[in-house]
Formats: sequence, structure tokens, C-alpha cells
Amino acid sequence: MSWAAEVEELRRRRKLAKLQGGEDGVAKQHARGRLTIRERIDTLLDPGSFQEQGLATAVPDYDDNDKFVGFVPANYVLGFGRIDNRRVVVGGEDFTLKGGSPNSAGLRKSIYAEHLAVQYKIPLVRMLEGGGGSVKGSGKRRGGGGGDSVFSEPRFKIISDALGEVPVVSMAGGAVAGFPAGRMAASHFSVMTKYTAQILIGGPKLVERALGVSLTKDELGGAHIHTKSGLVDNVADDEATALAQCRTFLSYLPASVYERTPRIESNDDPTRMEEELLSIIPRDSNEGFDVRQMVSMIMDKDSFFEMGAEYGASQIVGLARLAGQPVGVMANDCRVYAGAMTAEAAQKYRRFVEMCDTFHVPVVNFIDQPGFMIGPEAERKGTIRYGMAAVAAAAQATIPWASIQIHKGFGVATAAHYAPNAYVLAWPSVETGALPLEGGVAVAYHREIESAEDPIAKRAEIEERLRDARSPFPRAESFSVHELIDPRETRPILCNWIEWIQPQLDTLVGPVKFGMRP
Amino acid sequence: MASVNVESEVTGKVWKIEASIGDNVDEGDVLMILESMKMEIPVESPVSGTVTELRVRKDDSVDEDQVIVVIEQ
Repeated sequence: MSWAAEVEELRRRRKLAKLQGGEDGVAKQHARGRLTIRERIDTLLDPGSFQEQGLATAVPDYDDNDKFVGFVPANYVLGFGRIDNRRVVVGGEDFTLKGGSPNSAGLRKSIYAEHLAVQYKIPLVRMLEGGGGSVKGSGKRRGGGGGDSVFSEPRFKIISDALGEVPVVSMAGGAVAGFPAGRMAASHFSVMTKYTAQILIGGPKLVERALGVSLTKDELGGAHIHTKSGLVDNVADDEATALAQCRTFLSYLPASVYERTPRIESNDDPTRMEEELLSIIPRDSNEGFDVRQMVSMIMDKDSFFEMGAEYGASQIVGLARLAGQPVGVMANDCRVYAGAMTAEAAQKYRRFVEMCDTFHVPVVNFIDQPGFMIGPEAERKGTIRYGMAAVAAAAQATIPWASIQIHKGFGVATAAHYAPNAYVLAWPSVETGALPLEGGVAVAYHREIESAEDPIAKRAEIEERLRDARSPFPRAESFSVHELIDPRETRPILCNWIEWIQPQLDTLVGPVKFGMRP
Repeated sequence: MASVNVESEVTGKVWKIEASIGDNVDEGDVLMILESMKMEIPVESPVSGTVTELRVRKDDSVDEDQVIVVIEQ
């Protein structure tokens, strides 16, 4: 007697698992304009690289009369695969089964995905679509119940631990609610589709019951809401584009904190100097400029990958390459609140610095900081608390860090732009101090101004006098910056710095003292 | 004809209005200039079309996300 009968049954079950929610379930998913989890995995990974784990995982199913009717595959698909030939763990809910709400086997697999990434020290990509728990329970009809044992590890511990060890990426391809929405937030990078995804703590029915407000899923948690709430970093027109963004994001990061960032061959000349940089900053300090254009002129061509553009928009963050080395790029956007640090910009900044520090990604910071946002709304939001969290993240960062003072640098908020041992460069266009001239003169010279015959003319006169006295040269003379530079030299100088920091990057591996929290 | 609402990205003041009702504008044309935190912030047309409404006047205060111009495509 061989084991042929069992092996035959195993084959049957494996086949069953791949049927997902059956032809109808798959057709419904497609009719909603969405891919199934298996199609998502195939779109994300290098062709043929998926190695599924727990293929035969399933739960027995009962009808309403508690009669056994067969098996339902676990509604979470999980496994290893490759992206640009680098190993990753992938997982996601199968929405064609039970609307993605976890059955017991599915829930186990979804938690195991996080363990697997941490254990094998490779990135985790979650493709989320589904709800959280259901009052019907997780397919547990008989016995059991009452919850996990009191000594079992909290389910969320591995989710938090993963953020400190491996890159975690989440994509929302449909409605994501409850626990999966929490996973979405606990990511280093997240992206949702523009027309087919929503992210909700609680869906329309819950909201109507609790608050008496009738709103659609999209009104509650569509892309237009969460690109501004900061819950997701990016938005994409379709799932293929969203998954392409996940691949791009991972190309800048190491497989885990135990490895170095992946430096590639760059075919962009490190000594390239762009003429336009000489005049990109207007001499009139009230006039804005396009800082994204400036960033792309300095970084390796087409390497800048911006994250969270619509949230905390006065602060730009993203990943790029310099001489092939991945770097974290930060720049103030003077076209939004003059680049001031709002509560949202500060949170975006803090998370980004913590992410770069966790994965030992060197930082290049272009400073045009007029200070914390001021005004009644800023005070109501407690802006300076979030601002100080940003300052603390920078002050305790352990990564190589270059700061380039390009325009303004005022107030405490400016402290967030320097890490210990930063390499500090300044353009001739920089103005720094405790307060910008305009507001500062009004405060410091208020008696003189008020007692003048023409207060407005007096204020303008003082501002003009002080402005004329400002010169970029003393900061170089006093060695308060490393170098005062020609803006056109920025790329060559930074590319040179990239070579200096290579030995330091070799030694910077392993977990940091303070990782990233959602 | 689809109408496109142009919103202010910031809280601030209308400093200068560059476009007039009936103007044909191209994508990227400056419709008005706002002032916020002592910076001039150009509001560019997100689409090509005709300006049909200017919902603010010079020196008006504007809020973040407030519709300030309407363009018919």
C-alpha cells in the first residue's frame, strides 16, 4: 500500500485552492475593475518567481443548518517571490472568498506573512483588499471561541517589529477596512488605486449606525481623502501602476536593516553642472520657484521618486540616487505656505527621517525653511509638538546627512534639517536667523515703527537696511558652514560626498535604537 | 463642456488677479497670485479652457481647498 490516495487528495485540494471564489467570484471581481490576488501577485513579481506557502490551507465550511458542505480555501494567499531578482514575501486577501474578511486559516496566513519577512530578512509586500473581523466569527462554529490564550504574543507585535527590520509596502486595490486598514498605515510605503480602492476604519453601514451620517465608501475613504489625510503615500490610476510603484520604492532599499542600500551603476555624469541653478532662486525673496525642478537637476536623471506629494505639501520627501547611491531627499516647497512646517508636514518629515535612519539611507536635505506654520489653525493643531518630533528624529539620526541651505532657514523648525555631523553647504541665496526679516522687524523695532510719522515707510526702511547688511560670506568665514558654493557645483560636490560616506555605510547595518512607528 | 474647479492650495490673501472672465487659457497659465506667509504663490490653470467664474477679488482672504476660479474645458 502506497500513499497514492492521500497524494491524489492533496492534488485535488491544491487545485481547489487555486479556484479561489470560483468562476463567479472571479468574474465579479473583474467586473468591479479589480484584479484577483493571484493576478496581483503575478503582476508584481518577476515572471514565474512565485513560490506559494500553505497552498492547501483551508477551512471546513458549514451551511446555515451546520451541515458540512466542503472546504473553502484560506482567503489569504502568501509566498515568496522575486522583484528585479531580489527576494520578497508577498501576501494578500482573496476578495473572491467571503469578501476578504478573514477566515481562521486566512488570518493565520496573514499574520505569518509578517513573521516570514522578519525571519528571512526580506521585504514584505501586502496587496490588501478586505474587511476586518466579522461578528459571525472566523468560521469557528463549534467549540473553541473565547479568544487566544492570555500568554500568546499580541497579534500586532510582529507588525510593529517588521517596521524596524524589513521594508514593508502596502497596496490597496479595493475596499480595505478594519485590521487591514491598520496594516495599510503600518507601512514604509503605501499606494492605493484612484478609482477602485477605499480605506476605511469602519464602512458606510457602521458609520450610519453610529453617527447617522450616510456616506459612500468613496466619500468616506477614497483616494481624494487619504492622499490628503496622509494615510497613503501615493495614488495610481490602476493596479498595475500601483504595483509598479511598489517595485520602484523597493529598488532604493536594502532587503533588511542588516544589509546595505543597493548602489547601482549610474550613467549620469557625477560632474554634470546645470547652468539654470545659478538663477533658479529669485533675488526677490517673496517670489517662489520650482524646487522639484531643482531637485531633479541635481539628482541622477529620472531617479527622484516622490512620496506623499499631496499631504503636508510644504515639505517634499522622496527617494532618489546620486552617483547610483540611493538617498533620501527632502526639500521645502516655498509655493505652499512658503515651505513652512505645518503639523502635517512635520509628521511626514518625522516618518521619512525615521525610515531613512532605519534602513541607513543617507539623506540630502535642501533647506528653505521659514519656520513652523503660524496662526490660529496651526496653534489649534498643536503644530509645535509634531514639529519637535521632527526635530528629535533628525537630532537622533545616525545616517550620513548633507544639508544644503538654499533659500531661508528661520526659527526652531530649521533645527529639524540637521542631523549630528551633517555636511553643511550653503548657496549665496540663503537668509537665516531667528525670525524672517519681515515679521522679525515688526517685533524687534515695534516702538521705533509705531512712533514714526509714516510707520509703513519706517518698517520698510529698517527691513531694507538689515537686508543690505546680510551677506552670505561671514558664514563661510566663521566656518558655520563647510562650504559656501556655486549652486551649479551642488551635484559634483554631493556626488563626491557620496564616495566619502561609503565606508561609513559599510558599518551602518543592523537595527537602530529608534525605528519607525506608523 | 466640463467645468473644472480651481482650488487654493493654501490659506492666504488674493494679491493679484491675472485672468479675466472669458479669457482662453492654456494649462499652466497663471490665473492669479496669492500671498501667504510672505510668499507670492501663483495659481496655475490645471487645464486648457475658458475662464467662466472668478470667485474672489483682490485682497480677499482664501482658505485651503476653497474654489477660487472655474474653467470650462
